[in-house]
Formats: sequence, structure tokens, C-alpha cells
Amino acid sequence: MAKTDSKQQRGWDFEAAAMPFVDALYNTAYRMTRNTEDAEDLVQETYFKAYRYYDKFQEGTNFKAWLFKILKNTFINNYRKRQKAPPQSDFAEIEGAFESQLSEEVTRQMKSPEEEVLEHVLDEDVQRALDILPPDYRMAVILADLEGFSYKEIAEILELPVGTVMSRLYRGRKLMEAAMLEYAREHGYLRSGEPAKMRSRNEGKRAASEPKS
Amino acid sequence: MDCERVREVIFLYADNELEEEVCLAIREHLVICPHCARRIAYTTKVLTIVRKRCTRALAPESLRQRILTGLPHRGGGGR
Repeated sequence: MAKTDSKQQRGWDFEAAAMPFVDALYNTAYRMTRNTEDAEDLVQETYFKAYRYYDKFQEGTNFKAWLFKILKNTFINNYRKRQKAPPQSDFAEIEGAFESQLSEEVTRQMKSPEEEVLEHVLDEDVQRALDILPPDYRMAVILADLEGFSYKEIAEILELPVGTVMSRLYRGRKLMEAAMLEYAREHGYLRSGEPAKMRSRNEGKRAASEPKS
Repeated sequence: MDCERVREVIFLYADNELEEEVCLAIREHLVICPHCARRIAYTTKVLTIVRKRCTRALAPESLRQRILTGLPHRGGGGR
């Protein structure tokens, strides 16, 4: 009797604690699976798993991070392979053309070409840039920049060393920056006749290497 | 604190992941180094764009309902 009551109570406790995170989990699921159907299934599965393992959750620890860890593992186990192909984008070329643009150009001029181009980035450029990231980098950027988790929390969610988290974040953000600049460039916001100091796509090409974590 | 070190930790700085004394050393360096100040301003700009302008997808109400009604304490079978 008491057992059933407390089970019911735990159910209500879970609901109160967990339901506020539906949007955050859905957004992440959608960014990772790239389609609404899988995103909804992934979130639903995450909640049912979380419910089942709720008594394993340690009171006082980070509940949001715990939910995200379940989402992450469910994604890896069931959805990662089913990901649709990313939108067409020559990834390595973007990386080669705009590599590490915290270049000397940024520091030498009052306003660098990159900063000017950044002014013209559209919201859709930002989505696209996130979308083309490899899943490992994308997840790290989502957790840090969309969900505001600390490095330590991200390490806990991804079950990785903090050093690996930092490196994925670094590379993910660098690639996003390069992609956003490229897309803004497509809108034609560089002055005609590219500034000489900005490397063109062809000049900057180098052997593409697989992104490492 | 030198420019090389600032470059190394620039994201940590922007993410508030550095101890206060290191932040202080960086801020002191920025006062005398316009190059690094520029670098940090640019990095902050990029991150702000990512954080503020990446629209969040909202969960459909039907999903919320499906989750709720599926929970055992509400009579659902769960999974």
C-alpha cells in the first residue's frame, strides 16, 4: 500500500522535475537527428528511460545533465546510424579556406574582413553551420552554447575527459565560424575583389584530414 | 601572461572556465595589448552569434502529451 503510494508520488515528482526540459531535449534531439519524427521518438524514449531509472538518480546532483546523458546514450544506440546525410557542403574545403581565422589579420586591422562579413551572417547561416558539423562536435557545441552547460557538466553528459570536451568545442566552434563566414560570403557581402589578405578557397586548400576528437 | 597563452585559453576565457586570477592576468594583458583585445572581441562576437541566433526548435504539444500519458503514474504503460 505504502509502496504503491510512494511509487505514485515518485511518478509525480519525476514529472514535475523532468517535464520542464522537454523543449531543451527536443531541440537537441532535432539538431542531432535532423528530422522531427526521430527527434520526437528520441525524446519520448529518453523520458521513458529516465522514468524507469529515476530511482538511480542521485538527489542533489545535476538532473538536467542526467537527462541529457540519457538522451545522448539513446541517440548513440538507436539513432546515430539512421542520421540523414548532411546537407551538401564541402566541409574540408571550408576548413581549408578559412582555417583558424584568429589570424594576424584580425589583430592588425581596426576591423578585419572577417568581422565585417560576420555583420552579414543570417540566422539561417547559423543553423546551417551547426548542421554541417560532425555529430561529436555538434553535440559539444549544442551543450555548451545552446544549453549553457559547463565543461565539467558536458564531460559528465558525454562521459569523456574535460580535455576531449574542450578540443571538440574548439574544433566545432572553429568550423562553425568558418562555415558562417562562407555562407555570409555567398550572400555577396564581401566587396567585389576579395581583400588580398583573405585566403581564397583555392589558396587555402590543403589535404583534408579526418576530424579527430 | 603573453599573447600565446591568451590564444591558447581564449575559449576558456570566453566560457568563464578560468580561475579568477588567470582572468585578472588576462584583463591586465588586454589593457596593454590591442591585438589580444581584438582577438577576444572577435571570439566573443562569434560565440554570441552562435548562442543568440541559433533558433531553438520547440517541442510540439502532441509530444508533450504523448510523454505524459505514457508515464505509469498517469496510467500509461511506459516502454
